[in-house]
Amino acid sequence: MIIEIAWKNVWRNKTRSMIVITAVTIGVFAGVFSIAAMNSSIVQRIDAAVNEELSHIQINNKDFRSSSDIQNVIADFPSLIAVMEATPGVINTTGRIVIKGIASTASKSTGVEITGIDVEKEKKMFTLSKKLIPGTGSFFGSETKFNTVFIGEKLAKDLNIIRYTLTQEAFSKLETEGIPSAVILKLGSLGDQKYPTDKKFSNAVENLLTSSEKNKFSLKIKEAAWSYREGSKIILSFLDMNNNQTGAAFRVSGIYRTNNDMFESLSVFVPVNELRELTGMKEGTYHRVIARLDNNDLTDVVTRGLRESLPGLEVLSWKEIQPDLAMLADMMQQIYGIFMAIILAALAFGIVNTMLMAVLERTREIGMLAAIGMNRRKIFSMIMLESIFLSIVGGIMGMLVSGIVIAATAKNGINLVKYSEGMEAFGYTAHLFPTIDVQFFITTTILIVLTGILSSIYPARKALKLNPVDAIRGE
Amino acid sequence: MTDSQLAWKNLWRNKRRTIITAASIFFAVFFALVMRSFQLGAYDRMFKNIIESYTGYLQIQHRDYFDEPTIDNSFELSQPLIDRIESDPNVNTLVPRLESFALAAAESRTQGVMVLGIDPEGEEKVTDLRSKLVKYKLTPEAIQALKKSTIPSGTKKLLDVFINESYSSEGRLLIDLDIGKEDTATALPVLRKYASFKNRYLDNNETSGAIIGDGLSDYLKAGVGDTIVLVGQGYHGTSAAGKYEVRGIVRLPAPDIDNVIVYLPIAVAQELFAAPDMVTSAVLRLKNNDNENVLQSGESLRKLLNEPLTIRTWHELNALLINQMEADSRSGMIMIGILYLVIAFGVFGTVLMMMAERRREFGMLVSIGMRKIKLAKVVSLEMLLIGFLGLAAGVIASLPFVFYGNVHPIRFTGEMGKMYSDYGFEPIMPTLLPDTYYLWQIVVVLIILLIAILSSIRKIFRINVISALRA
Repeated sequence: MIIEIAWKNVWRNKTRSMIVITAVTIGVFAGVFSIAAMNSSIVQRIDAAVNEELSHIQINNKDFRSSSDIQNVIADFPSLIAVMEATPGVINTTGRIVIKGIASTASKSTGVEITGIDVEKEKKMFTLSKKLIPGTGSFFGSETKFNTVFIGEKLAKDLNIIRYTLTQEAFSKLETEGIPSAVILKLGSLGDQKYPTDKKFSNAVENLLTSSEKNKFSLKIKEAAWSYREGSKIILSFLDMNNNQTGAAFRVSGIYRTNNDMFESLSVFVPVNELRELTGMKEGTYHRVIARLDNNDLTDVVTRGLRESLPGLEVLSWKEIQPDLAMLADMMQQIYGIFMAIILAALAFGIVNTMLMAVLERTREIGMLAAIGMNRRKIFSMIMLESIFLSIVGGIMGMLVSGIVIAATAKNGINLVKYSEGMEAFGYTAHLFPTIDVQFFITTTILIVLTGILSSIYPARKALKLNPVDAIRGE
Repeated sequence: MTDSQLAWKNLWRNKRRTIITAASIFFAVFFALVMRSFQLGAYDRMFKNIIESYTGYLQIQHRDYFDEPTIDNSFELSQPLIDRIESDPNVNTLVPRLESFALAAAESRTQGVMVLGIDPEGEEKVTDLRSKLVKYKLTPEAIQALKKSTIPSGTKKLLDVFINESYSSEGRLLIDLDIGKEDTATALPVLRKYASFKNRYLDNNETSGAIIGDGLSDYLKAGVGDTIVLVGQGYHGTSAAGKYEVRGIVRLPAPDIDNVIVYLPIAVAQELFAAPDMVTSAVLRLKNNDNENVLQSGESLRKLLNEPLTIRTWHELNALLINQMEADSRSGMIMIGILYLVIAFGVFGTVLMMMAERRREFGMLVSIGMRKIKLAKVVSLEMLLIGFLGLAAGVIASLPFVFYGNVHPIRFTGEMGKMYSDYGFEPIMPTLLPDTYYLWQIVVVLIILLIAILSSIRKIFRINVISALRA
């Protein structure tokens, strides 16, 4: 009965109730959605770390990380693999050879980490093979008598094997993409000139265009001019098992693109047999074993278990290899909490104000109810229920709107192109696909109801303090 | 009675409503100011650190060096050029650098390195390189000796975790070994005795000495007194090779530099790369470093330089960092925007209700001859007063936090502190003293008030006296 009365009371003054409900809806939506967007960049970073860069667990020779000497191999590889495969939760394992070296072309050279991989296994375990840029070849797909290497886009740019050239093809591509012919005409003078860096090309383009044209088209122009000759070669040099400098020319089998510039410029992949031949490492010797788990939540448990059963080796989870990332994820959880608390506190002000007004406006009515025998507890719960209804309706609407908007944007994402350069340098993507835990939804809903209850206490007490006689006499 | 007196009295007729509305504005202003102050303060500190420890506020470079940092894009730093630059009233001195890549080899290891030719004295003033020399190192021998010494037993257990770790500051060593304030006095002499690391800085007449990064020293297994060989490409394709003795080891906060850096005195580097008198950049030390002066000096110096030389400001040199900061700053602004949005709805709600509640009163006033325009004035004044009450309270309440935080910044300890220093940032978060961001809060509150006022004025002009009186 009280519930029904309270519900009807909410709708007696529609404008007032709608204002509060809208405030709650907007507050909840804005809070949840912006948290989802922030959260996505962390989730995507962790996904990339686990799926492309580190895997869940890495096992090294105890001395390998401190000295990365080629001699520091895992002593008994087959029995290690046997142990891993018997561990529940581990779905895939493979061995890697990891060597520090220098990659160079005729004009540039830079330090890299060369990873020797079992191509077939890695293809199954990692998504890196899917990060191949279309038109740059394949993930070790084609037969060739040369050594082959899979490198990152940033490295390819650093080594000048990716250039920017506006060829005839590029011009016709721009035309089909709907770039006005006036703009294309202006770019004519750049035709077939080769620019070794992104910057130089951008500068040349920007000199020719007006600023509005630049804003609209420069991305597309850059994309069209991006050029790479398939099958380019780079030289990799490193030390072999006898500590002699060695090296060879490698044909680039494909180029991958991730959101992590540091990883792209540092990590190159080579089929393990080619590295064995060049370094003289024996068959069946590896520096590192990586393992993929059933799901990420198992990481800590499995790492602890493996550490106990493999005392002679260094067992590390991705959280230990990149502690800053794990910590950032924890820290962000706290920030979300604080942020939501501030929004809810702001909402509480609105609810208190409205309910107080509702009580004062209805002084006479409440006095009447008390006079005809409605007890104090019922009056108290009636006012409280009214404000809970306001917050629940607002909260549900807010959740619904955020759910819909998150689902809508999750498909194509939100692309903050302007900030991509800065974020990708640290391995974070600027292309956000908002996501949020179900748990977060539930916690937030509970908090909203709590806010409603807390902010109704003061107005409800106010209603209790009314003296029925005075209240009826008033106005 | 004047309009403002009337408005003021009206406010206190319903104290509770006035206070709640002002309080909600206070709440938003206060949080927005404190949040923003910490965020902006952190950026400010971060930039000061990076500018003062590496890039400097202004650099002279070859036009193409920024996009293509090779030694071929270096320039001759002649005496007349130096004189011309130093004639600028805001310039203190010029600190030259010559930077290039080479392969470094020690006994059995080889590594690609970044060779930085520096003027040891000048560089000390710009980046304080001397303070980054390793002062303590927990070598296995040092750990053995420390375990037998009188340091706290909890610390002894930690020693093995940090084996072979190097420290350029006592502070970090004490944090890592978990030595609290009370034990510092007793533990420090012991640590000094066993774990001190002997090395020295470069002096200007050095002909064969080098300072290398701690990470590089570990990798090459080259300690103080060992010899390293540098092989690379010199100016315009000449070949470069030289033999140097490691004099000192520095621990730089950024691992990607620490692992590859070799410092040589600039004259020695010029000889190695066959580039006499050439430099790749010259860092300017300025007398006045605030933003406006830096940009102004940049402009006036640019006019003094001939092609192909140009001036790069710290904005250009740190474009990536600025971009990151902007992304972060934007997220902070969105949070504050949401906060204000929610508060704005609260304020509109109150205003709407106030108008409904006082309909009869307004009707009465109009019917006894008060002009609607006067009524609108009074009501607008009421709202402005509420708004300013909240605004002023918010600003005043934020000031103690902001001023205190500026002098006593939040200091991150534990894992968080380590993460900061691993990224090369000081693990502290100071506030930024009141600046234009204070004005922005006023603007936002004014906009909210303006909308509320406009909607209530509209209501007033639509009052139908008869029906209002009946209400």
